[in-house]
Amino acid sequence: MNINVDELVSRDGVSGKIYTNPAVFDLELKQIFEKTWVYVAHESEISNPGDYKTTDVGKHPVIVTRGSDDGQFHVMLNRCRHKAASVCQSECGNANFFRCAYHGWTYSNNGELIGMPFQDGYDKEFDKQHNGLIKLPRVDSYNGFIFASFNEEVCSLNDHLGYAKEYIDHIVNSGPEGIELSAGAHKYSYNANWKLQVENTIDPYHLSVTHRSFFNILSKKTGKKFNFNKIHNNEKISDLGNGHSLYELDGDLGIGALPFNLIIFPNLSFVGSHVRVVHPVSTDKTNVKLYPFLLKGKSDEVNAERIRKHEGFYGPAAFGTADDIEVGFDRVREGLNADIKNDWLLMSRGIDRETVDERGVITATSSDEVSARALYKQWKKLMTVETR
Amino acid sequence: MEYVKTKRQQIEKFLIKEAALLDQDLLNDWLDLFTDELIYWIPSGSSDINPMKHVSIIYDDRIRLEERVKRLQSGLAYGQEPKSKTCHLITNIEVDTDENEKIVVFSNFLIVELRRSIQTIYSGRNEHHLVHIGDDLKIQYKKIDLLNKNEYIGNLSFIL
Repeated sequence: MNINVDELVSRDGVSGKIYTNPAVFDLELKQIFEKTWVYVAHESEISNPGDYKTTDVGKHPVIVTRGSDDGQFHVMLNRCRHKAASVCQSECGNANFFRCAYHGWTYSNNGELIGMPFQDGYDKEFDKQHNGLIKLPRVDSYNGFIFASFNEEVCSLNDHLGYAKEYIDHIVNSGPEGIELSAGAHKYSYNANWKLQVENTIDPYHLSVTHRSFFNILSKKTGKKFNFNKIHNNEKISDLGNGHSLYELDGDLGIGALPFNLIIFPNLSFVGSHVRVVHPVSTDKTNVKLYPFLLKGKSDEVNAERIRKHEGFYGPAAFGTADDIEVGFDRVREGLNADIKNDWLLMSRGIDRETVDERGVITATSSDEVSARALYKQWKKLMTVETR
Repeated sequence: MEYVKTKRQQIEKFLIKEAALLDQDLLNDWLDLFTDELIYWIPSGSSDINPMKHVSIIYDDRIRLEERVKRLQSGLAYGQEPKSKTCHLITNIEVDTDENEKIVVFSNFLIVELRRSIQTIYSGRNEHHLVHIGDDLKIQYKKIDLLNKNEYIGNLSFIL
């Protein structure tokens, strides 16, 4: 099927087909998840030589390792070069090598093929050096956050992160000795498109409606009244470029420690006290992981309190997430079944009250849909290149 | 011996009553089964985590568990609109220890949840710490060790 991206995204809205059409989803995997930088791990998850974790880059299963010899980060496909069986079965661990349980091909933890049983069966032309696990050609990290790309030609990670870097720095500096993702994760899934979760991550417009029950509880407990009209006008959302966006909060909304939410296009964000990673599975299935990050150098009590606060709003059974799953994802997916001729979703809020600073950063108030427009500007750019 | 048998019957009856209150959506009565100092815990990832250092699906004290129930009853908890219907099955009951007035009971559970025409099964093992308050038993601690605690889980906003 031919996809004309211009017919799917405009300046102030998107067609419902970007959430439901499998051909659009397949193109996203190629044009976005194989073309730009994708977040894969935080260095604290693989802190020792030989440590590894498994994850996905788009639909591709990968192993992320810290080499036992070189200490470098490697990202490689979890797929044996012989008959394609996955060679690593655990979510995380420490291993000097990965041995495929099918025919015994064995790889070092930086992906090199070390050997296989009965090597004499392969002719002289067979070169072990060219039959290691397939590596993603670009791997880089910024302040502990490791990204990878299938695209050898992708811009530097530094350029990709751009104006988002200073906010990552702020997150890392929130702990006296940095941060660590050592508190495990919440894992949840929903039956709709991955972009709905990204949009929902910076969409303060929905807070006073979808999450009214949460704020009612908080008001009762703290005595603090939430005047969202005022809050929205005090807060701002900025389009940081390259699909990244920022939501700066007006004080404590009871959902975590960070003074902002930050989206790093396409699959990473920082919300409350957690790192959020979105895994697209299909048009109708998305997996999400929330890793509360702990402050190194702070007491166990301080970190325990962060975890409790996180659990209050986030996670499959929490007061916030469950309502987002129902309203923001499941009900939207149900509504999208009404596949009418005018199938546009509106993202025009605040488009006439945006300001642009000297860097080109676009800003408006927090009830405005600056973040969604930032997302789809980059989406359109990547989806358009090379499809003509 | 007769005493032990009676005690076991009382414990079984209590667990069955708890299950019935949840299935009938009588959440205030269910809350009354707990002591004032309580822990209601659903670990995430692994059952042997330290909840002070690791995230849980739920780690509620009395205050948060009451807020949880009130929120579900507020008419604004959209994750439960429509409400889940549940059928709790309790089996393999083992009274682990019964000393110093504290009873530790393990039981296997199967919860069938029906919501939006979809039936979902949750299973695992409960750990109840029960104490005597007058003639009644009360729950001081309930740990729900879900079989799928390390899987991607959907909307889990009903009470397990």
